[in-house]
Amino acid sequence: MRKITSVLLASALLGAALAGCGGNNNSASTTNSGAGTTNTTNSGNSGGKSAETPKVGVAIYKFDDTFMTGVRNAIQKSAEGIATVDIVDSQNSQPTQNDKVDLFITKKYNGMLINPVDRTAAGVIIDKAKTANIPVVFLNREPLPEDMKKWDKVYYVGAKAEESGTMSGQLIVDYWKAHPEADKNGDGVLQYVMLKGEPGHQDAELRTTYSIQAVEDAGIKVEKLAEDTAMWDRVKGQEKMAAFLGSHGDKIEAVFANNDDMALGAIEALKAAGYFSGDKYMPVVGVDATAPAVQALQDGTMLGTVLNDANNQGKAAITVASLLAKGETPTKDNVGFDITDNQYVWISYKKITKDNVADAK
Amino acid sequence: MNVKKAQSFVTQNAIYIVLVLLILGIALYEPSFISVNTLRDIMIQSSTRIIIALGVAFILITAGTDLSAGRVVGFTAVISASMLQIPDYSRRFFPDLPQLNVLLPIVIAIIAGLICGLINGLVVSKLSVPPFIATLGTMVIVYGLNSLYFDMEPNQSQPIGGLRPDFTKIGSGFFGSGQYSIPFIVIIALVVAAIVWVVFNKTKLGKNMYAIGGNIQAAKVSGIDVSKNLIYIYAIAGALYGLAGVLEAARTGGATNNYGNMYELDAIAACVVGGVSTTGGIGTVPGVLVGVIIFTLINYGLTFIGISPYYQLIIKGLIIIAAVAFDMRKYSSKR
Repeated sequence: MRKITSVLLASALLGAALAGCGGNNNSASTTNSGAGTTNTTNSGNSGGKSAETPKVGVAIYKFDDTFMTGVRNAIQKSAEGIATVDIVDSQNSQPTQNDKVDLFITKKYNGMLINPVDRTAAGVIIDKAKTANIPVVFLNREPLPEDMKKWDKVYYVGAKAEESGTMSGQLIVDYWKAHPEADKNGDGVLQYVMLKGEPGHQDAELRTTYSIQAVEDAGIKVEKLAEDTAMWDRVKGQEKMAAFLGSHGDKIEAVFANNDDMALGAIEALKAAGYFSGDKYMPVVGVDATAPAVQALQDGTMLGTVLNDANNQGKAAITVASLLAKGETPTKDNVGFDITDNQYVWISYKKITKDNVADAK
Repeated sequence: MNVKKAQSFVTQNAIYIVLVLLILGIALYEPSFISVNTLRDIMIQSSTRIIIALGVAFILITAGTDLSAGRVVGFTAVISASMLQIPDYSRRFFPDLPQLNVLLPIVIAIIAGLICGLINGLVVSKLSVPPFIATLGTMVIVYGLNSLYFDMEPNQSQPIGGLRPDFTKIGSGFFGSGQYSIPFIVIIALVVAAIVWVVFNKTKLGKNMYAIGGNIQAAKVSGIDVSKNLIYIYAIAGALYGLAGVLEAARTGGATNNYGNMYELDAIAACVVGGVSTTGGIGTVPGVLVGVIIFTLINYGLTFIGISPYYQLIIKGLIIIAAVAFDMRKYSSKR
């Protein structure tokens, strides 16, 4: 019996190990085949080695992040014809990412596109890149300004986090101004509740602050009835909103959520309290423009959301990286986006409502 | 004598006293807390947690532990949601899937949970891996499987939404109308609790469970097939997590691979506060229900009166420690 068990155990372990390798091989070969195609098309077109597409190593902070998956797909797509990309997963670990960077350098790639796990780690990566003379573009997580100044072949492509807050505030402002009945108690003050992401998370803090500031900047007085963290989570968003409704009921005039998942949870709680049927309405705004949020916009339950433009981030990033890799200087003309302070490409967020819902699909 | 009696009353009923004090404290601060709506909200928010905690209670009573509970909930939430989207939703998980009978994906999800539990049971009983380690392993594996599934084409790690109304109704519908209506999900939780009560108290499996947790050697000597019983118990617990995952998806109208994250710790804490002994052999269904409700009350009630989430965490932690400290007194005084 013991023998059988240990044989089973050994084969299970072996199986697991093989499955692991199989998985790796698979993903590696997909990347390679993708890159291979790009390469062939190009050499077919030009036929000369002078116009060979540069090789760019791309390290994403982690592959199972929803937003970065969108960016990753955009990079892959936009790279066609301008660069051969090798996209790797840093598994949400900075040491792993540094190992990948070392690998890119060893392989003598012409450029690197890095989505840092930890923004403060960019300094070390820049040092490595400068020593090897391989230009590097950072993506989505902004390195510290003093690190950016270390070398002129370092660029950053990303969005300004506070803009997502400002825009979600503006969505409420637009609604408030167009619908006088939104001021339910007629006191001229916007009574709101706020569902925050993880406390201390930069996006959570910025979105909370800037969304309300946008409302105040529009000349509207606000009163915060309640604020609590729902940890970016739909379930918790629903539970917190149920509690807010329990204690404040119909005094609430607007719901701000730091992301769509929490906004959708809040909408479920509102539905349970009788909202969105008949003429009982509540303006709810989120951020991210996820697929379920788009559905809620179409259903008329969510007022608006803010899209972090994955397509343009991916496109701008790989374009800048490929230009640098070829030894050219990125300009507004050859990148297609404005370049600020010679090193920064800022991609705007977009406000999404029922009217322009197609932009988010 | 009277003092002693009072003391023993307090130790024996500490959790109920905590429950009453909590309600009184919140109500004093904000009298509008005492209302039928509040009760309903608390019952709704407790229901899935009750089902998970009952599953965990099975295992704690055998002197085991189950860290995989939360991830199994997440997995089964994603499985059921992926097969129950409305046909004209723009990003369907399976674009060409026909409209299935609503029960089919639910049963598939519960079976998936059961299989996860079965694996836990086999690893614990046949490979003699300590439950903490065995379920730590499955916790990570299940999350990996779930993430793989969730990242499949064409979903690519997007939250799953657009769930069918006949499915979400299970989570948000109710009998009756107005204030005094009873949500389906609460009824489901109570039915599960009743069934688990019967299993604990009236079946051979229940008796064996207490015996294994009380003294595994004695259980073996008295002829109980320990490994068979353990496998059953882990599998039942897994099926309960499966059901809870389905209800989480139905209740919130969506799912992501992060659903259920850390639920196992909430469930273990609720069990422990409800008088389930982590050293095995002791625990009751009513205790577990009260334990879960205490935690929901903290979550809901403290948000209701607007206490900072940081203080909520501190209060939760203190209650866990205090509950176990009381428990230790209770049993040490018996010996």
